[in-house]
Amino acid sequence: MITEETLVEELKHKESQAKAFEVLVNTYKERLYWHIRRIVLDHDDADDVLQNTFIKVYRNIDGFKGDSKLYSWMYRIATNESLTFLKQKSKKAGISDGELKTAMVEKLESDVYFEGDEIQLKLQKALATLPDKQKLVFNMKYYQDMKYEDISVALETSVGALKSSYHLAVKKIETYLKSN
Amino acid sequence: MEENKKNKFKTPEGYFDSFHDRLMDKIHEEENIKSTSLIPESDGFTIPEGYFEGLPQSVFKKLKTKDTKVIQFNGSRKIYYRITAVAAVLILFFGLIWNNESKLTIDDLASTEITDYFESTDYALSTYEIAEVLDLQELELNDVLETNLEDENILEYLDENVDDLEDLNLDYENYD
Repeated sequence: MITEETLVEELKHKESQAKAFEVLVNTYKERLYWHIRRIVLDHDDADDVLQNTFIKVYRNIDGFKGDSKLYSWMYRIATNESLTFLKQKSKKAGISDGELKTAMVEKLESDVYFEGDEIQLKLQKALATLPDKQKLVFNMKYYQDMKYEDISVALETSVGALKSSYHLAVKKIETYLKSN
Repeated sequence: MEENKKNKFKTPEGYFDSFHDRLMDKIHEEENIKSTSLIPESDGFTIPEGYFEGLPQSVFKKLKTKDTKVIQFNGSRKIYYRITAVAAVLILFFGLIWNNESKLTIDDLASTEITDYFESTDYALSTYEIAEVLDLQELELNDVLETNLEDENILEYLDENVDDLEDLNLDYENYD
């Protein structure tokens, strides 16, 4: 198992770059995919954003100073790429962010890559009502089992603020599930 | 009641004896959310078969073609003004070179003509590319706004629209 520092060094050198990039993609593809998928919901969109994220990582690796973990840094890029993607999508369709989120959840009902039942669909409806930050923290903690310390670096938010966002999100989702 | 001789503060009986248990309960509270919550353990998303196996090839393919791909410009009015600023610099530069052959200068172009040009021309620049050539250090907010924005307007807006001041610290474009 190659260490993160070695991988970063190899990515920065021309001769070892291609092989190191392949290792990087294979190591992080699944984690980053699920992170992105839970933001953009649609598989094809997630695939598009994931590929762009890896390309951005490849092109910006020289700017990675090693102050944080490589994968926290990649989560930051993946988060930004996903949110930017959604903004562009709503702009293109001439609708608001809120309208886009509602449309995305409605589309899930006929999505072949969504096998959720009634409660899971309701969960997505509840998530669509949350502010971006709360939704991100909830998914990263509840479904991706990430540590607060890693989420903190990825979202550039203090651990304390993340904990309160998470608990608030859980409460709001539970209330939504009970009342609807 | 237990008593601290130095400061006279008191704690409920058995407070310290049960402290460890309560602390552990608190620590496990997060894990317990999953087993006791109404929230389903899986969120129902699936992927096409073999998707992850083929992903590295798709990324390499996209990486190779990305350089030649034209990104459609879809900027806001604010961005048009920024492009106009970049264009003005470029036109001034080329204007100076051409000056030896003809007498056409930047003054001959009305700023509305420059704006019209960029509004009607499909300019193949992404916002990232524009950001790379724009020196934001020298760009003031009021340079890109039609009416001057006073500090009190900004404070009033933030007061009304920002729930969590931490949101202001998010720097989405800084990947360093």
